[in-house]
Amino acid sequence: MAYILQQLLTKSAERYPEKMAVWARGRSITYRELEERSNQLAHLLRQHGIKKGDRVGLYFPKCVESLISMLGVVKAGAVYVPLDPQAPADRVGYIIGNCGIRALITKEEKRRSLGESTLASLEFCVMTEEATKSSNGTKIIPWTMLSEFPAAQSPEVVLTETDLAYILYTSGSTGRPKGVMLSHQNALTFVEWCAETFEISSEDRLSNHAPLHFDLSVFDVYNALEAGATVYLITEDLALFPSRLADFVEQQGITVWYSVPSALTLLLLHANLNAEKLGRLRLILFAGEVFPMKYLRQLADLLPHVELQNLYGPTETNVCTYYEVERERLASLDKLPIGIACENTEVFAVNDQDEIVTQAGGTGELYVRGPAVTYGYWADAEKTAKMVVPNRFQKDFEEKIYRTGDLVQLAEDGNYYFLGRRDSMIKSRGYRIELGEIESALLSHEAVKEAVAIAVPDDIVSNRIVAVVAAHDGSTIKPSELQHHCASRIPKYMIPELIEFRENLPKTSTGKIDRVQLTQESIRAANQPASEVVSQ
Amino acid sequence: MSTVNQTPATQAPVLKDQIRDFIMENLAHAKGITSFTDDESLMESGVIDSLGIFRLVSFLEEDLRVRVSDEEINAETLKSVNSIEQLVLSKKK
Repeated sequence: MAYILQQLLTKSAERYPEKMAVWARGRSITYRELEERSNQLAHLLRQHGIKKGDRVGLYFPKCVESLISMLGVVKAGAVYVPLDPQAPADRVGYIIGNCGIRALITKEEKRRSLGESTLASLEFCVMTEEATKSSNGTKIIPWTMLSEFPAAQSPEVVLTETDLAYILYTSGSTGRPKGVMLSHQNALTFVEWCAETFEISSEDRLSNHAPLHFDLSVFDVYNALEAGATVYLITEDLALFPSRLADFVEQQGITVWYSVPSALTLLLLHANLNAEKLGRLRLILFAGEVFPMKYLRQLADLLPHVELQNLYGPTETNVCTYYEVERERLASLDKLPIGIACENTEVFAVNDQDEIVTQAGGTGELYVRGPAVTYGYWADAEKTAKMVVPNRFQKDFEEKIYRTGDLVQLAEDGNYYFLGRRDSMIKSRGYRIELGEIESALLSHEAVKEAVAIAVPDDIVSNRIVAVVAAHDGSTIKPSELQHHCASRIPKYMIPELIEFRENLPKTSTGKIDRVQLTQESIRAANQPASEVVSQ
Repeated sequence: MSTVNQTPATQAPVLKDQIRDFIMENLAHAKGITSFTDDESLMESGVIDSLGIFRLVSFLEEDLRVRVSDEEINAETLKSVNSIEQLVLSKKK
C-alpha cells in the first residue's frame, strides 16, 4: 500500500504506461510521461537546492503541468503550495512569505504580477512555458531544462507518511489566510477511503472542477492516479458556460464528477441536461456547501441511475463524513444529512456540558479524530492550539482531535445533520469565507471607520456577501472604490456585491456593532423588489 | 438600473456604451474592477463569473431584446465588450 502520494503514480505508471493520465485544454500526457517528467522536475528542484520539507509554490492556471508539478515537488521530498491564480497579488505574496516559499513553478504573466519584494525573496522560478527574458534577481528556469535530468527514477529522499505533502490556504478570520498543513498520511487516509467506497477503476474518467488549491481536487487527482484512471481538468473556458460544460462531460465520457453543489445547480438550470447526454456518468459527489433540496431532487430525477453522495469535511481533515443519497427519502427529507464517519476516521459531537453526544436528538460541536486530522496551521501555534486540541475524552495515550466549529445533531437514523456554525465563517459557492477577513480588507481603507460583512442566504450559491460601512466624517467614497480596494487584498468571490453606507452602524447595549440587526435588515432588503434595495 | 449619460447630440444610447456600462455597474464593480478595455477578455480578468454570465444574458434578452440560445453562450461570444456587441448586432439583422 502506498504511504506517500508519489507511489500512487509510480505504481500506475508501471501498470498503465501508455494510458492517458491527465487532460487539460485539449492537451494530455500519459502515465509514462507524467512519471518521467515529474522525476525530472524532482531532480531539477533538488539540484537547485530544494531540500526535504521546503515549500514550493505552484502559481499558474490549470494545465497538464499542474500534475507534473505536484508530483515533481513531492518526489523531491518537498511540500507544494497551490496558489490561486485568480487571487490578488498581495494575497499571493503574503502566502509566499508566510510559509517561506523558496521557489515557484509559474507562468510569466503570473510571476510578473507579484510585488518586487516577493520576487526578490524567491530563489528561482521554473517557468511552465517558454520564459521570455530573465528578470533582475530571481533565477528563471525554463521548462525545457527538465530534459537534462534523469527521467527513470525519482531522487533518493527518505520520506515517511508523516511528512508534509502540501499546504492549503483558507480564509482567516483575523484578516489573513491561514495555511493548513497536510501530510501524505492525511491525504492517503482520504484517498484510500474514496478508492474503497467509490470503487474507482482504471476505466473511470474523473473530472476536476475544483481549483487545485481546494481540497476537493485531492480526490480528482490522486484517486485517478491510484486507479490508473484519467483526470480531466476543467478550466474557466468550460467552467463558466454550463452548455459547454455539459458537452464536455458528454464528449469526454466523464464517469465520476465531484464539485460544489452550486456548480451542479447551474448545470441543471442552464445546460439542458438529459440522462442520455450524461449516460456515462455513474457517480456524482458533492461537498462544500448545503445542496438546496429542490435542486437535488431535480438532479436525482434527471439522472436516476447515477449514485449521488454528499461529502462533508473541512480542509483540516478533508472529507470526514458522507451520506449516500437515498432516493426514496428525498421527497420527505427537508435537509440532507452529512452522514456517518468515513472509514479510518472517527467523529463525535460534543454538547454544552462537554459530553460526547450519544443519544438521538443530541446536538453539539463536531470533532474529528484519526489520521485524517491536520497537524495544524503553518507558523500559527496560537490558532493551531485552539482548533487542534488534545483528546480529553481518551486518557490512554496522547493524540490530537480537530474541532470543526460546526454544530451538528445526531439523528434517529444514525446520521449527523449540519445545524450551523459557532462563528462567522460562511460558505459561498463552496468557498470558505471568514467575514472577518472581508471586514479587515474594508477597514484597511483609510476612509472606513466601521465595517460589517454580512452573508445573505441565496438559493444557488448558499450565501452572497454584502457590507454595511460607516465612513470617517468628511470622507466621500463610492462603493466601487471600496470594492476596488478590496480586490487588491481578497479574492473576488469575497468582495461584497453591494456596499451600503451609513453615518453610524447600530450598536447593541454593550456597545458592539449589532450584527444581528444588520443581518436581518440586509436579508429583508435582499428579498424586496430590486427597485427598493438601497445600493450604489 | 444602468443609466447612460447622453450628450445632447445623441438620440439613442450607443450599443457598445450600453453594454460596457451594464458590465461596469453590475459585474465589474462587484469584483473590484474599475476599468477594462473593449477587447479584453472579461473571463480572464474575472469580471464575469459563473453567475455573472446569466446576469449578462438576462441583460441582453431583457434590455437589448435579443434572444440568445444556450449554444451561443460561450467563451467566444461573451469574451469581451466587442464580441458581445458583435453578437447583438448579428441578431438584429
